[in-house]
Amino acid sequence: MRVRTRGYWLYLVPSLLLFLVVIVVPFLMNVGASFTRWSGVGTPRWIGLDNYTRLLKDERFWQSFQHNVGLIVAMAIVPTAIGLVLAAALFDYIGKKFGSRTASALRAMYYLPQVLPVAVAGVVWGWMLHPSYGAINQIFGLDLDWLGDPDLALATVMAVMVWFQLGYPVVIFMAGLQRVDPAYYEAAEIDGASWWRRFWHITLPQIRPEVFVVLLTCTIAALKVFGPIFVLTRGGPGNATMVPSYFSYLNFFQKSNVGYGSAIATVLALIIIVVTFLFLRVQERER
Amino acid sequence: MMKTRAAAALAVAVLVLSACGSGGSDTPSAQSSSQPRTLKLWHYESADSAMGKAWTEAIKKFEASHPNVKVKFEAKGFEQIQKTASMVLNSDEAPDLMEYNKGNATAGLLSKQGLLTDLSEEAAKRGWDKLLPGGLQTTAKYDDRGVMGSGKWYGVPNYGEFVMVYYNKDLFDKHKVQVPTTFEQFTAAMDTFVKAGVTPIGTAGAEYPAQQIFYQLALTKAQKPWLDAFQSYKGKVDFHGPEFTYGADTFADWVKKGYIAKNSSGVKAEDMGVAFMNGKFPMMISGSWWYGRFASEIKKFEWDHFLFPGATMSPGSSGNLWVVPEKSENKDLAYDFIDITMSKDIQNLLGNSGGVPVAADPAAITDAKSKELIETFNKLTSQDGLAFYPDWPAPGYYDVLVAGIQNLINGSKAPSAVLDEIAKPYEDNLADIGN
Repeated sequence: MRVRTRGYWLYLVPSLLLFLVVIVVPFLMNVGASFTRWSGVGTPRWIGLDNYTRLLKDERFWQSFQHNVGLIVAMAIVPTAIGLVLAAALFDYIGKKFGSRTASALRAMYYLPQVLPVAVAGVVWGWMLHPSYGAINQIFGLDLDWLGDPDLALATVMAVMVWFQLGYPVVIFMAGLQRVDPAYYEAAEIDGASWWRRFWHITLPQIRPEVFVVLLTCTIAALKVFGPIFVLTRGGPGNATMVPSYFSYLNFFQKSNVGYGSAIATVLALIIIVVTFLFLRVQERER
Repeated sequence: MMKTRAAAALAVAVLVLSACGSGGSDTPSAQSSSQPRTLKLWHYESADSAMGKAWTEAIKKFEASHPNVKVKFEAKGFEQIQKTASMVLNSDEAPDLMEYNKGNATAGLLSKQGLLTDLSEEAAKRGWDKLLPGGLQTTAKYDDRGVMGSGKWYGVPNYGEFVMVYYNKDLFDKHKVQVPTTFEQFTAAMDTFVKAGVTPIGTAGAEYPAQQIFYQLALTKAQKPWLDAFQSYKGKVDFHGPEFTYGADTFADWVKKGYIAKNSSGVKAEDMGVAFMNGKFPMMISGSWWYGRFASEIKKFEWDHFLFPGATMSPGSSGNLWVVPEKSENKDLAYDFIDITMSKDIQNLLGNSGGVPVAADPAAITDAKSKELIETFNKLTSQDGLAFYPDWPAPGYYDVLVAGIQNLINGSKAPSAVLDEIAKPYEDNLADIGN
């Protein structure tokens, strides 16, 4: 048996090579750079763990991780929860009542923000949220500085991210629901189960694998988030919306602190690896 | 075993990194003049700006005087060049000539890294040093530590820039406000606007404008030695001294009094400029880079400018620099091109397009608005009043100041806490200079 499967490894060589060249080598180079003092040009100077000890004491770095927790809520937990209800409603209620075309059209609308380039979406949101002439203040008759007030900025970015992410779980969950045996729903309906009960006892358990995948990918996306922060707030006002990836970028490109930027990137990568590992462990156990 | 492997991998990675040395290259021997050649040129000025117009003309002139040379111009973005210059210049993709930001944290850093060509000899030979008066030479020269003001020539500026108060004449007339000449008159004018329910100064906290107001306020209490200490590290800067304390306190006070809108902390520079062009604010404190655009786009009202009252110094400097990358293979052509941009007719065109030329013929500046601008600039340089910009002293200081001033606008931190916040990265950088 062993002898017979050995041949399969040959087919993995191209992707392994790619993985090595595109992921492993740059990652190791990044780890290497994190032990040096380097401006990105010239010879790096070995400084051991100095960047990491500095990182542990860096208030902005820890602050940026706190903001990341908020973004995990906005990009993973909230969209997953709303996405579940929406997907079930589209599949089980709208689809049946108004036809599958209506459900598909609505699904496409929810997914649209995922297709838009983040820069375009960010600029448009920036206009809508502008304190003087923004549509949001005009429509609701408010006078709020959504992205400029440190007490509001993170919540505003979170709200934009919910809008941004929502389509992704909806599409995945609707695809997952396609494989649920309709007989379950029919039987439950005959027994007089309400829509909520069907959702709770059939839909949720049946698409648990999809929920895991969405939570995992969205959590990773939230940990890595860069584009929306760059376009909307650049980490401001003050440091109210600073996130690790933007903080790393600032050190790389603004301050020419490539060593320190690499240390931040390394810590972020390790955290993502640990989170992924934990998710997979939990998922294994579920099975 | 795993540990050994990991350590080995790390060692390899570091070795690979170390191999990315700072390559310098010698200029190749001049190719024979009959062979077709290319001058690769990058800059980030928009085509309709004064510099854009002048340099487009310079390319035409250059190609006319160098029949066997084709100029390959690539328009770049300011941010794009700022963020990636050192990486690009260290690669084989470097251009022969490019526009780059002046200051210790930018051109100074690249010169220190050995990425820029020493232009001292050319500057003396071609007379560029005579065309640029003292204050404008500051940003062209950098010492071994990458600190501006002395040492070798690494860049050549073509134009000047400075921060002033733009004002809407119609709004001034409507509210019966005179152009202020003293600081007291200036605050009295702002009080008049506030009483009438008008926010007097349009600014932008998310980008450079607000920090330049803070710096301008500090400059009203500053003398030359303080400026030399802050910008060129020739002495110790006390962030809780009278200059910055006054700047931070007064700025916070201006927000409280409604001179600056409380909701301007998330506003970007472009929004500020557009709001002024739409007549929303009577005043805007910003740089001469807006001047040409205002001249061509403001049609609904009359506008003018004055220097910040009560200060002999204002933020300002030479414009950005022409730099010749060390890896350029056509340095001789790059020098010729810089020479053309310093010629009278290109400088006059720059001046007549709303820019501040450094070597124009005053009689040739016929555009009235441009004339006024150049006169103000000359007044400022004659009193040695170019105070550079607050974000220059340290790499990444721009973001530190943006964050600090946003805290002042929001009132989320007391002025003294903001000063602590901006002092630390400055002090950290002092320890780094020359490393």
